[in-house]
Amino acid sequence: MRLLNTTLVAGLLIAATLPAHSATNEDVDNSFYPYSKGVPTHEGVKAGLVIDQSNVEKYKDVIDPAMFEFISQGWTKITVGETTSFDLHPNYVQATRDGLGKVKLGEKSGEIEGFVAGRPFPEEPSMDDPRAGEKLAWNYKYGYNWGDNAAIYPFYWKYKDMNSGKLERTIKFNFHFLNFKHRVNQEPLPEITPNPAGLFRAIYVQALEPFDVKDTQLLIHRYENDLKRDNAWLYLGFQRRVRRLASGQVTDAFLGSDVMIEDFEGYNGRINDMEWTFKGARNILVPFYHHNDLTLSEEHKEKDGYQFVEMGDKGNCFPQITWQLRKVFELENKPKDANHPISKRVHYIDAQTFTIPRTLTYDRKGDLWKSWQIGQAHPDHHLPKNKGTGVAVDDSFTMIDVQAMHCTTGQFKGQVDPSLNPSNKFTVQNLRASGR
Amino acid sequence: MFLDIKKQQPGRKRPVIHAALLPATLAVIFCGDQAAAYTSDDGSLQLNGFVENATYTRRHVGLSKMRNTAQIEGSKDYGAQGPFSNVSFVGTFRATYDAVYDLNDDEFGNKAGGPINMESVGGSGTSPWGASNISTGTLGFGFDTTQNPNEGLVNLGSALHETEGGVGMGVPVRPCDKDSRGCIDDYLDFDENELKYPEFNDRLDFLREAYLDATMPTESGATWNFRLGRQQVVWGRTDLFRVLDVINPVDFSRHNIYDELEDIRIPMWMATGEYRMGATETFDDLNMQFVWNFDKFRPSNLGQGGSPYAILDAGSFFRAMKNCWDNGCSVSNFAGGAISTDFPKHVIGIRDVHLPDWSLSNSQFGVKMEGDYRGLGFSLNALTYRSQLPSLRAVVDTADNPFTPAIESQHYDYLIAFDMHFPRVNLIGGSLDFYVDDIKSVFRVETAYTQGEEFANTLKPELYSESDVFRYVVGWDRPTFIPFLNERRAFLLSAQLFGQYLVDHERQDVNGIEAGIPDWELNHIGTFLMKGWYKNDRVSPQIILAHDFKAHASTIAPSVDWLISDNLRLTVGANIKVGDGAQKFDDCRACNPFPPFTGTGSPGDLALRNLAGFEPLGRFRSGPIGMAQAEDEFQVTLRYRF
Repeated sequence: MRLLNTTLVAGLLIAATLPAHSATNEDVDNSFYPYSKGVPTHEGVKAGLVIDQSNVEKYKDVIDPAMFEFISQGWTKITVGETTSFDLHPNYVQATRDGLGKVKLGEKSGEIEGFVAGRPFPEEPSMDDPRAGEKLAWNYKYGYNWGDNAAIYPFYWKYKDMNSGKLERTIKFNFHFLNFKHRVNQEPLPEITPNPAGLFRAIYVQALEPFDVKDTQLLIHRYENDLKRDNAWLYLGFQRRVRRLASGQVTDAFLGSDVMIEDFEGYNGRINDMEWTFKGARNILVPFYHHNDLTLSEEHKEKDGYQFVEMGDKGNCFPQITWQLRKVFELENKPKDANHPISKRVHYIDAQTFTIPRTLTYDRKGDLWKSWQIGQAHPDHHLPKNKGTGVAVDDSFTMIDVQAMHCTTGQFKGQVDPSLNPSNKFTVQNLRASGR
Repeated sequence: MFLDIKKQQPGRKRPVIHAALLPATLAVIFCGDQAAAYTSDDGSLQLNGFVENATYTRRHVGLSKMRNTAQIEGSKDYGAQGPFSNVSFVGTFRATYDAVYDLNDDEFGNKAGGPINMESVGGSGTSPWGASNISTGTLGFGFDTTQNPNEGLVNLGSALHETEGGVGMGVPVRPCDKDSRGCIDDYLDFDENELKYPEFNDRLDFLREAYLDATMPTESGATWNFRLGRQQVVWGRTDLFRVLDVINPVDFSRHNIYDELEDIRIPMWMATGEYRMGATETFDDLNMQFVWNFDKFRPSNLGQGGSPYAILDAGSFFRAMKNCWDNGCSVSNFAGGAISTDFPKHVIGIRDVHLPDWSLSNSQFGVKMEGDYRGLGFSLNALTYRSQLPSLRAVVDTADNPFTPAIESQHYDYLIAFDMHFPRVNLIGGSLDFYVDDIKSVFRVETAYTQGEEFANTLKPELYSESDVFRYVVGWDRPTFIPFLNERRAFLLSAQLFGQYLVDHERQDVNGIEAGIPDWELNHIGTFLMKGWYKNDRVSPQIILAHDFKAHASTIAPSVDWLISDNLRLTVGANIKVGDGAQKFDDCRACNPFPPFTGTGSPGDLALRNLAGFEPLGRFRSGPIGMAQAEDEFQVTLRYRF
């Protein structure tokens, strides 16, 4: 009997690591164009519907638990928009087709084999697959989140007391993202060379205002090898020196905000650092919208006419946007490190784009700690330069610490523009050169 | 005794009120009216800056600093120009007024100091300055007290120690326009205005930075970056200690060793060229930097005798010695090692300072290769420069022997008469940083090996010798959650161990005293920082501890930063010293420079050596922490940034 059980477990593991034989072009179509045959529906949910404290109970099934609680408390409301397809760039889709049948998980968490580009596991995740969560995590990691590169230029973060609405701090950043590997759209393809360290991706952050953090810069190098720890450096203007960061600082509040470096983009860490569990597919309301159709903020208006998303409702902590009823994968991640400040995150991953518009974070006791919302804007209804890029543009965020009743909001000007992200911007030396 | 007198009047300057009132007033002013930075319509011109009040009070002294600063930082981007992909200009202008010289002028200004007595344990017990037990009328001893009166003086080191049978000297402590005694031309000769307004001098120090920056891409993908103008060039990976970060001299008069180096590096006119290769086939990042410091040489500002901050109290010693040479001086317990003595001028002291002139051969050049290899940050550094700290060489060839009526004007071995030199130093070194995941820690290592540095050495006829020096720092940084203090935000724990090894160290135990090089052959200073953040980083308490192992001296510096708004920051802190202060060493009273008058045997005869005291060489054993043991402070700083 014991032999049988061992054999069974081994068989399941082997099956999990085998190439995804079931993935077909039809899977790819379903994965990238889930609304080609129709959009999700729920009784009473249609464009223009406003869900507030008075009617939220009726729509409980299509609202995540934290948002449901916020609306129930009367802190905010949801205005429903029409569900639209956020088609990713065709080159990314083609790369996915090219990789069909070639990609499989390695034996250990954090290992993947045969991956070149595109979405590694386009097939529908199965509750019967013990490593389905891990596959979703890989799909997110190698997603077309910001394309091959992009900049948030500029990016306003505001710290707010949620009870009083008092604006405590405004920080103006520039964020830059660059994929070194698995590039599908912008030259050089498929990889920027030389790349002796085997970097997959880099993030460069520059603080512009206020002046006590001016010249603070952050650089994160993520390796292709997921088992290898990120490298991170911080340049502090008042010291004029680059400091290598200990990885523990990625779980710390970034510049005093409610956001950890590990929270960037939904999850910004190694796959191997977490245990991933697929909890099922659902249709729920998520913050996807057409930026140009919103009533936008008059504050920080750019010279080119660009306006940022307005914030409002309780404590001015909620982006004034519209929400779409979309298919999501509920994915739980639990830190392997017992000293990690959280017990788990529950991600609601958009099934079409594999962006993470909603994440609920639980403290070490298991209580809800933070609600993390990243609004996704359609690139064709945003800056002219973003049109046709096939990138779901991160466009607004709010991180709400429900225990401290505090929030950090983010207003983006996302630009998919290679000229803003040359590879030499993502070097340690650039921190020194750009600092003063 | 001197300390005791002061202890009878603690708080006589209402220091805490002073410390709090002005910042509070500024807070009221700036909270109501938001000043703003300027950015031009096209974004190419940016101006911002800050105003700051730093008010410090010292125990038993009263106000030690009321520095009011206005700083403007600007940049102008000229975009692509010719072969350059980008050209920009950066300027930083700083103006400071330190009101301590007006508000506490009987400690640090025109009324500072007073008449002093010199100890004479083998004579009358004490004797007034200029009226020592051996004075005018005894051979060639004595000096003109109308030129060098007993006023505006303090006893050297008196804040820290009694004379206790050792050498004692008098330090003129008033600004050099009020009292020129002991002022060293072009080095430590600050008048009242230069002390109050330190940026406004003939070296244009209000220009903290003024440089052109140009980037030139190359066909290989690498870029050249050129920077020309007044600037700071920062090397190394270490906080507080200067192992590789030695290109710019430093102004210790601002706040001893405790200000950010960013604020106390003295900018120099330099040209730098950086060849940035980025990632190569081998290195994740690689660049070369060439630095040419073509500015006229400047030493570090050690703080003038009579100013509130003077590292090692060296400026006081130099001023006392310069006065001795120029005007003569009284010295405690000198003759026979026990009797106060009035030396005539041109016998002992500091005669000249040899500041290197501007010439191509006196300019300074450095090269650095820096990069990253598989997660290991590294640099290799080489620099040839002039020591920013003076070396006292007893090579004076115009000294007089006071035991004879003739004016000899010649050299005497072992005579404590010096010229001040700034020798050329060659440095090679390197640095590393790396992360160790198993213990979630970053380590920083920095080393330097120098040749050409000079140290006091009482075993040498010239009273100095050269020694190679190996310095190193190992730093450790770890963000650490301490749940009972803060469940949500990690504390930064950072420790450093600084070591200094004098390769050619020389010291002997002679007749119960130590003689030779007073600096420790091998010594370490450890620092520890614990910093936390609360209220979304708007409140940040920290504590810094520093301990000099051989000096047995420590500093404890707790502080709290409160970011009142995006623009306004209040810092309240203290700087408390504990441990040993003054230390004794061979003071060369028995060095026998004038045999047979000062002893039988030859000059420097070790058989005669049996006298040690706190002054003047004990300071090198006490170190900067030990020498500041009497400088406990309460500090309030308010900065409004715009």
